[in-house]
Amino acid sequence: MPISSRVVINLTVVLLTVGLLALVGIIGMTVWLGEKARIYSEDATATRNTRVSAVELRAALQSAESSQRGYLLGGNEIYLAPYDSAKTQAVSQLQHLKSSLPAFPQIARVIERLSQVVGEKIDEMDRTIALKRELHDAEALAVFGGNRGKALMDEANVFLSSIIRTTDERLTSGLAQQRFNATWLRRISVIGGLVIILVVSGVILTIYRYTREVAQTRDEVQSLNATLEQRVKDRTVDLAQARDRAEVLLAEVNHRVANSLAMVSSLVRLQSRTMTDKVAQDALKETQARIDAIASVHKSLYSSGDARFVDFDEYLSSLLGNIETAMRDEGHGATLRCDLDALKLRPDMSVNLGVIATELVTNAFKYAYPNRSGEVRVRLTRLSGDQAELVVEDDGVGRGAGAPAKGTGLGTRIVNAMARTIGADVEYFARDPGYGAKLAFACPAQAFACPAQLA
Amino acid sequence: MTYPTSSRPARILAAFALVASFLQPSPLAAQDGPAGITRPIVLPPFDSNRPVCARPAGLERVMAFAQDNGRKFMQGVAHGLALAAKDRGLEYRVAQADNEPARMVDQVRAFLDAKVGALVVAPVDPPSIAPLLKQVIWSGAYVGAVVPPPATTVLNAPQYLTGKVLADEAAAYIRTHLEGKAKVVLLTHDSLQFLAPRFVAMRDAFKDMPGVVIVADISPLTVDEAGGAAMMRTILLADPEIDVVLGADTVVLGALAALREAGKARPDQFLGGIDGEPAAVEEIKAGGPYKASVSLASPIFSYAMGQHAADWLEGKSIPQGMDILPRALTPNNIARYAADVADPAAVYNDPSRRDQYLRMYGNICYETRENFINFPWSSERR
Repeated sequence: MPISSRVVINLTVVLLTVGLLALVGIIGMTVWLGEKARIYSEDATATRNTRVSAVELRAALQSAESSQRGYLLGGNEIYLAPYDSAKTQAVSQLQHLKSSLPAFPQIARVIERLSQVVGEKIDEMDRTIALKRELHDAEALAVFGGNRGKALMDEANVFLSSIIRTTDERLTSGLAQQRFNATWLRRISVIGGLVIILVVSGVILTIYRYTREVAQTRDEVQSLNATLEQRVKDRTVDLAQARDRAEVLLAEVNHRVANSLAMVSSLVRLQSRTMTDKVAQDALKETQARIDAIASVHKSLYSSGDARFVDFDEYLSSLLGNIETAMRDEGHGATLRCDLDALKLRPDMSVNLGVIATELVTNAFKYAYPNRSGEVRVRLTRLSGDQAELVVEDDGVGRGAGAPAKGTGLGTRIVNAMARTIGADVEYFARDPGYGAKLAFACPAQAFACPAQLA
Repeated sequence: MTYPTSSRPARILAAFALVASFLQPSPLAAQDGPAGITRPIVLPPFDSNRPVCARPAGLERVMAFAQDNGRKFMQGVAHGLALAAKDRGLEYRVAQADNEPARMVDQVRAFLDAKVGALVVAPVDPPSIAPLLKQVIWSGAYVGAVVPPPATTVLNAPQYLTGKVLADEAAAYIRTHLEGKAKVVLLTHDSLQFLAPRFVAMRDAFKDMPGVVIVADISPLTVDEAGGAAMMRTILLADPEIDVVLGADTVVLGALAALREAGKARPDQFLGGIDGEPAAVEEIKAGGPYKASVSLASPIFSYAMGQHAADWLEGKSIPQGMDILPRALTPNNIARYAADVADPAAVYNDPSRRDQYLRMYGNICYETRENFINFPWSSERR
């Protein structure tokens, strides 16, 4: 299962915390046990001193007693050689013992009784030795045989053995405690070390896994990127080919539509030539003009290389040139003057505007100059913002006030309908002389493709 | 329980004999006999199948007891002797010396003059009574001694065994109840040298128990309850926690009093004594720290002595020496023990039960009486 960076951080923090706690535990335990060892060392030294005093006191008493008995039995003064030093040693060790034992009431009674016993024992030995020196052998042996000396020695032994045993037990228990502490320190150190090793291993493993996964992910991304670029490239090529095919197809369609419309226009012209009725003939000619206007758009589309937009100024210029030529062929003497700003429009917009312009220019040629020549002006102007304006005007006879419409009125209806289709209004205005029509239409960025927006 | 003491006519007779002895020498006293066995020997086990020898002649079928004092132990001896005399058709006489050696000499001389067939003596002063006892032996009478020689049958209380029995009880208790660990106090008896083997046995019993520490091995200044209590107070100063106390019953009873006084007596302690003192027996029955007392069953061994005396008079071979086997009285066996001492005849007539109390050595009869024991015999001597 892949691990996230958050998991890595949390796990690392937890592991490091555990490792830190283990380290703190080891250090704390070491410090604590070290302090205990110091206390034990001081206690052991004091206990050992007490034990040494007790042992030395017992040894001194035994040495003095041995010396005394040797003298009493043998009468030889050489037995008394160690006697005085043994007595001195006994008194000295008794003093050491008194100072080294703790001042508890029980201990005080022990020391008091032990001092008394040691004093009596020394007195008994001194007395028997003195009697022996004074040649009172029988009295000396009587004192000796009374067993008082043995009883005193036995009693002293009870106390001294107790002190020695107690100090031994204290030393032994202290040593056992130290061993126990050392064992625990060793265990805790081993356990703590293992914990730290596990923690470090865990961190290393986590980081290793994370790094490996990051590397794997990076490699996968690089691999995907490399594939993606190829795929994008392929797709781009595919799209370009599809676009090219679509453009070719669209151009072909426009071409076919234009040809079909040209064919229709030719059929309408042939039909109009067969007509004898002037009105019908004119109606067919007007229809032919409208069809030509539409066909010109398609022609413009397949010839421009861009099926999305039409260079409307060029289209309109070509269209109006054809109309002028046709009108002159029919005998109308007006001339056409165009002032067209460059403008790109969508094909449907261009068709509507082209038909409207055809109607307005054709009407101007037909009716503005019935008896003379004149000028028909067409202006295509880009206004501020997203607006554009198409104006057709002449200097002709104009339309009298309240005068009926000339012709069938179909052209006007077509103009109005198409103007509504593209969301514009046609404004007719009188000139002096002459007459004009103005069509303002929007050229919004999404509905139309003005050159500025296409740039 | 009371035991018969000497009768008034007997005392008068004894007094008369004493006076007569001063006025003229006894015919028997003038006849010195063999000294008996004076060099220590090891006696073989008693052979009860030895052939019958001649019967003593000219002696009365009287069982006499020269008693040193009226202590309980001696009351038990008297009781056993009286029962045996009754069972064997002997007349029983007793004379108590109240711890006066001269009185005992007089009383024994009177028995001698009365030609008693059997004399059991508990000497007040063994050296002073010994010559007279030899005369009784030379007269052909049975002489049983509790304990010092001379005697045709010497009694022996094996001191080492006595101490061992008690110490073994303590050791078993330490193992089973104190997990093998104990602080032990040995209250010894320095003034009686012959008791030393008791304490040797106790030290031997504990020397292979590493958990046992003898914290005190000391003799009280006086071997009585007061001495035991005083010594225990001293020991408690050095070692407030004591688990086991062993010694004579009297001093151990004193030690128990000191423990109680110090608030250091515990039910799991083991206090054990020697002698079967009634107060100790009561403590054992009460079920406190006092767990055992080693007793020498005086009615039982004295009953045996009475039986031996009767056998002697019938010319039978009897033991030269007899061990009184120590018995540790514990809460478990004290009832049985009481039943045994109340009916010593039943014990004597049942060899298996008798062997629990007595062990017999050597053989002697009227005809071989010159082999009487005249040294401090002990079965423990090797």
